[in-house]
Amino acid sequence: MAALTRIQRDTLAYVLIVLASVVLLVWVIPAYTPAYPGYGASPALVPNVAATIMLIMTILSIVRTMVAVRKGIELLAEDSTFPEEGEGTGFTQAGRLDIPHLIRFIVPSVLFVIGINTVGYIPSALGFMLLLQFLVGSRNPVRILVLSVVAVAFMYAAMRYGFGVPIPGY
Amino acid sequence: MEMILAGLMDSLSPVSLIYVFVGVAVGVAIGAIPGINGPMAIALFIPLTYYMSPLAAIGFLVGLNKGAFFGGAISAVLLRTPGTPEAAATTWDGYPLTDQGKGEKALRMALYSSVSGDFISTAVLVLIAAPLATVALYMGPPEMFALISLALTVIAGIGTKSISRGLVAASAGLLAGMIGTEPVTALPRLTFDIYQLESGLSLIPVAIGLLAFSEILIQLERLKFGVGDNEGARRFSDKPEDKFVTLKEFFANTKTLLRASAIGIGVGAMPGLGAPVASFLSYDQAQKRSKKPEEFGKGRLEGIAASEAANSAVVGASLIPLFVLGIPGNLAVAMLMGAFMIHGMMPGPLLFQENSQLMYGIFGSLMIASFFLLIIGRFGLKLFCKAVQIPSVVLYPLVIFTCIMGAYLGQSSMFDVMVMLVFGVIGYFMRKFDFSYVAFLIGFILVPEWERALQQVVIISQFDTFMFFRRPVAMLLMALTFFVVIRTFLAGVRKKD
Repeated sequence: MAALTRIQRDTLAYVLIVLASVVLLVWVIPAYTPAYPGYGASPALVPNVAATIMLIMTILSIVRTMVAVRKGIELLAEDSTFPEEGEGTGFTQAGRLDIPHLIRFIVPSVLFVIGINTVGYIPSALGFMLLLQFLVGSRNPVRILVLSVVAVAFMYAAMRYGFGVPIPGY
Repeated sequence: MEMILAGLMDSLSPVSLIYVFVGVAVGVAIGAIPGINGPMAIALFIPLTYYMSPLAAIGFLVGLNKGAFFGGAISAVLLRTPGTPEAAATTWDGYPLTDQGKGEKALRMALYSSVSGDFISTAVLVLIAAPLATVALYMGPPEMFALISLALTVIAGIGTKSISRGLVAASAGLLAGMIGTEPVTALPRLTFDIYQLESGLSLIPVAIGLLAFSEILIQLERLKFGVGDNEGARRFSDKPEDKFVTLKEFFANTKTLLRASAIGIGVGAMPGLGAPVASFLSYDQAQKRSKKPEEFGKGRLEGIAASEAANSAVVGASLIPLFVLGIPGNLAVAMLMGAFMIHGMMPGPLLFQENSQLMYGIFGSLMIASFFLLIIGRFGLKLFCKAVQIPSVVLYPLVIFTCIMGAYLGQSSMFDVMVMLVFGVIGYFMRKFDFSYVAFLIGFILVPEWERALQQVVIISQFDTFMFFRRPVAMLLMALTFFVVIRTFLAGVRKKD
């Protein structure tokens, strides 16, 4: 996904949060909260308060952003990949959403979890570690193999014999 | 007195000593790696503490946190890349010294300053926490409710660039924390009829996902664009005057160390501010009061002393609000609070009454951790310098693998791993859209206590909304909460204008 300007990014976030808050207030909280038992505060009170704060704060933020746009205040476009890097701390985040990057690491993780239950820990963890290293850019086959075997064996031994955690080996 | 001695003896038991030692050593190594910080390390290692005694667990995690604070200085000095955010100010004088071949000297100064700040702060914690907790016992449910509201607001306001975003994040954390069994009716709430959610979301997968997994996703993205890969460490000079800090050099910075420690303690005791604020403030003060301010930024030991003593002093002081009021002031302490809860204890003033021996044992472990930090740093410095050279392509897959197995370890549950992955994605988007995951996590941790206090207020007062007006402390705290919201919001509007 291309880099978003700050206004585009904020507006996207605000719209999503407003929608989520409305869904929470209108459907989720009424449908999945126990009925008032007749004493104390209603079980829906605190969830409703939290969702309402989310909604109000987001609407206020939208209004502020609209006022800024109307006044012609230029909120900086994040045109470089890591625009705030130059501030010196190195702890600010990237200015773009990289969904394929996210999918690249989430999908193998989900498959690994499914793999533990189906083919067992050892084959799925080995496959996962091999793939993961390839995905992060490691191309040295010996290093990839050694690291995978050592990490998987160490974790298995620690889980099984160190902590006594049941884990299907294969 | 008997309890104090028994607690201190517990902290000197071999098992406890080993765990504290290992915690400090691992913490220094982890803190040295850019991109991995103390709270993230605590999140990754909390699952291991299931298998430890409460004292060993807390001692291990506190050691880990203390070690990580110093470890952050290693990459700050050697690579000009702070291993942890609070070490950023250390780069300003540390790296120029490395450029001059005096990297070892800079690291030693960072170590001694870190230990000094940490020791002073721990001493203050030990001296004042128990008496303050006795006073805090007089606080009832209205005061607790108001205090947690204030803490959430302050953390939401300071931990992010705008209070509205902070409050949105904190509210989302509250909602996530309310998933599970509702305390009054004992019926499931917000569970979407998923039976695994009836016991609520476990802290471990949520914390690992938000803190560690999402951070690694971001770091990997940086790596993709060629930013943030670790370079090799610089060579050190062999001349003794470039390697060691003499007693004269150390004591020449006594005033700076004391002032930095005081700043660190003050900042640490207040929720929301955090160690980076302490180190920047202390560095600024040291420069203003120095006889040679023009030498700051060019490799002055005083600058390193100011930054490191202040950020390390935050560690002990930030435990004061946790032990006295049950309020975590920053992320690392929030994670420690989670560890207390995992071991069946609720941090707060009652902790000293119900677990006094354990509390004094923890105080003992805190002091011992300072001593171990000195020993480990003194003799293992060169070894830890190697940690900054671990290639990212080796490190990140290992961290992702550890995240997944760590989430599984807590309850041997694949559902928890999925929860971790979901919160990893949520954390990724929160970072991208600039919403505070700190406020989210603290809201998540504090909501059971907040709701319990609210229920007690409602039941005791029988829906009398004027109850707060009859409790001056509660009223003051609520007024402060509204003041913080309005002031921060207006400040944001003025800034935009």
